[in-house]
Amino acid sequence: MWQIQNPNTPTGQLILWMIVLGAFIMIMGLVPLLHALPPRGRRAIIVIITFITGLFFAIEFFLPINKEQKNFLTDAIQPAQQAVQVITALALALGTYGLVRLHLRNVVQQRAQWGYSLVLLISFVMMATFSITNTLSEQGLVEKTPLLEQGFKLLFDYTLVQLDAAMFSLIAFYIFSAAYRAFRIRSVEAGILMFTAIVVMIGVVPLGATISPYLPGVANWILTSLNAPVQRAIEFGVGIGGLAMAIRLWLSLERGVT
Amino acid sequence: METLWLSGLAQYQHAADNWFAAILIAVIATTVLVSIAIARSGASLYIRRIPGLDAIDEAIGRSTEMGRPVTMIPGMTAFGVVAVQALTIFKYITKQIARFATPMRLLTGDATVYAVAQEAIQDAYNEAGRPDLYDPDAIRFLSDRQFAFASGVAGLIQRERVAANFMFGEFFAESLIFAETGNIVGAIQVAGTISFTQVPFFVAACDYTIIGDEFYATSAYLSREPVLLGSLVGQDIAKLLFVLIAITGAVLTSIFGADAPVVKLLGQPGGWDAFFGGGQ
Amino acid sequence: MQTRGPSIWERMLSIDRRILYLLLFANIVLFLLLPIRMRAAVSPPVQKFYDEIEKLQPGDLVMISSNWSASTLAENQPQLEAVIRHLMRKKAKFTLISVEAQSRDISYRLASRLTPEGGYEYGRDWAHFGFVTNLIVSIKGMVNNLPDTIKKDVRGTPVSELPLLKGITSLRQYKMIIDVTPSATVPFWISYAPKETKILYCPTSVMAAEAYTFLDSGQIKGMITGAKGAQEYEQLLGIVGLGTRFVNAISFSHVLIILFIFLGNLALFMNRRQMRQEG
Repeated sequence: MWQIQNPNTPTGQLILWMIVLGAFIMIMGLVPLLHALPPRGRRAIIVIITFITGLFFAIEFFLPINKEQKNFLTDAIQPAQQAVQVITALALALGTYGLVRLHLRNVVQQRAQWGYSLVLLISFVMMATFSITNTLSEQGLVEKTPLLEQGFKLLFDYTLVQLDAAMFSLIAFYIFSAAYRAFRIRSVEAGILMFTAIVVMIGVVPLGATISPYLPGVANWILTSLNAPVQRAIEFGVGIGGLAMAIRLWLSLERGVT
Repeated sequence: METLWLSGLAQYQHAADNWFAAILIAVIATTVLVSIAIARSGASLYIRRIPGLDAIDEAIGRSTEMGRPVTMIPGMTAFGVVAVQALTIFKYITKQIARFATPMRLLTGDATVYAVAQEAIQDAYNEAGRPDLYDPDAIRFLSDRQFAFASGVAGLIQRERVAANFMFGEFFAESLIFAETGNIVGAIQVAGTISFTQVPFFVAACDYTIIGDEFYATSAYLSREPVLLGSLVGQDIAKLLFVLIAITGAVLTSIFGADAPVVKLLGQPGGWDAFFGGGQ
Repeated sequence: MQTRGPSIWERMLSIDRRILYLLLFANIVLFLLLPIRMRAAVSPPVQKFYDEIEKLQPGDLVMISSNWSASTLAENQPQLEAVIRHLMRKKAKFTLISVEAQSRDISYRLASRLTPEGGYEYGRDWAHFGFVTNLIVSIKGMVNNLPDTIKKDVRGTPVSELPLLKGITSLRQYKMIIDVTPSATVPFWISYAPKETKILYCPTSVMAAEAYTFLDSGQIKGMITGAKGAQEYEQLLGIVGLGTRFVNAISFSHVLIILFIFLGNLALFMNRRQMRQEG
């Protein structure tokens, strides 16, 4: 019901283009309308749109389902999620524009540390060029030259991938300094924390089994019988908190960022 | 919101898959709404002290004295309930910052959060009566790649030698990179996250850590708005309900066994089908 | 009046972190190179993981969701390698899927390298679905209509033309889903995958903490935790893989950290005592 029937026929294509054009006109009309409205009017529109879109998901969830696990609204979920993806893509373009604008201005005006901005811009352009060209070549739209292949490999395999791994491995070193600083017996609770951490750290590695056959069992007990129930309790609280927040947003009771 | 609801019901895409869970959601929602209504009618509600949140003003004061900026990091949070809560907290912080004209940076790893953050922070400066202090370049989208974002944040914290670092949102492996870098430059750090796995790193490296649903309580704590306080009370009542259900379930299962109809009704997948013996 | 310099205990309490980093680096390099092999006590989650795969019959179809990139290579690569080897041993067929481009490339190359060991042929015994942008939408789509959702594999071949997937129209026809990931993607598989399909989990060590609840409730049937879990799994398989080689460095790094925790506490205690005596 929510899909265009026969989209590959001329009629289907026409309907598709009419929908795209209509959505474009509606949004282009909506933006000046929202600007023209007073703040109260603007807020009213936002509240109504928020409520209706939230109501859609709530109704779809609570309506009875047929043997195919669907009700009449279920097929509209996927287009709705795809619309979210479109918005995310637009936001990404906006974010990228903001990033490039900031650093371009740093370079042009030679602000403090503009050298880093220059490096960013050069890397950005190079990576974007090689990545886009590589994707086009995979689809056969552009010839895959040795320069493209080597360049992409150099930037992706030999630079990006390695930098990713290097940043992640920083965590190992940071854990060492954080643990050295944090695990000091300044109170009873800190002492319990330290002792438990040491037992688990040694118990989960083969060395623990070598030191004592009981250590792995104790470590596993701490993880499954102490850690897991506490985590469940925290997750319950987080889940309820999230649900409450979602209700407040849906009903526009949350004035935070709206 | 859909993802939140649906991921909370494992394997259940519709209420009909497990009516008990659906009823529970409706009960929780009703509890929250009734509590909000009670709070709005003027009831006085108590909220316990959360040290990490009391430290926010102290941290901002310290930054102002040292003339060094404040950073606010919502992490890699995708736009949703968590991001909105994080931005609400940052709005409060920005209003405090605006009083002292302290420089600030808000660094995001999600483009949608970046777009909303720009509006939110501008609103905060307007509400504080200092629209002149708003600098669009202070809110930055660094990258949506986890470690590119982490290296950007770490570099900025180090170069600008921030004096206070607020991290609220959903974090992953990059959390320790932020926290430890902040520690290296001597910043006061307050972190709040729903990510259970990152809490130990924040506890080890930050001065104050806000755990679990204290994160959702933050906006109520800072603003003391009746709606938010009422919602918090409703959440606590819902949690008590969960405790009672868990105890009841444990007692009933111990007495009657896991195959008893009443236990199947409460806990088994398949909803009414399971209760009437025809389901999974 | 002369002020005394910092005592050894004060210096220990404020030791330059670069010294700590250097010691850790040396420790890791040393124990990576030393050929020490320690037997692990196999933990219950890993044993369950192994037992579930042992139950597979030749020809059973398994979905491997491989979402890791170079940053978590040390933890996830040993897991994926051991899993693929075990599946080949059981003659189970598998398809791979990823949620980002880097993980697609890494997992595709890894599988291409390993599968000849078991005589596996692409398209007949295994395939890679490439990467999907939205995991929830993709899982729901694969449950309803797999060929329509995935359309083409990583090589551009329509999925319906792969011999491996002849007659396969839904995720329901898969016996098992194995999620090898550094991210919290397993709740999505638990929420949206068919109830009859078993789920196994291969997280990094950090993410494992929040998975014990799923293990307890039976929503995931087994779990391999990081490189250490991979080593236990390799031990059950009787092979020496990356997990076995990495776990030495991990073990002795833990020892180094514990040693310094003790030293830090000793310094704290002795410093307080000294200050009380001077006091």
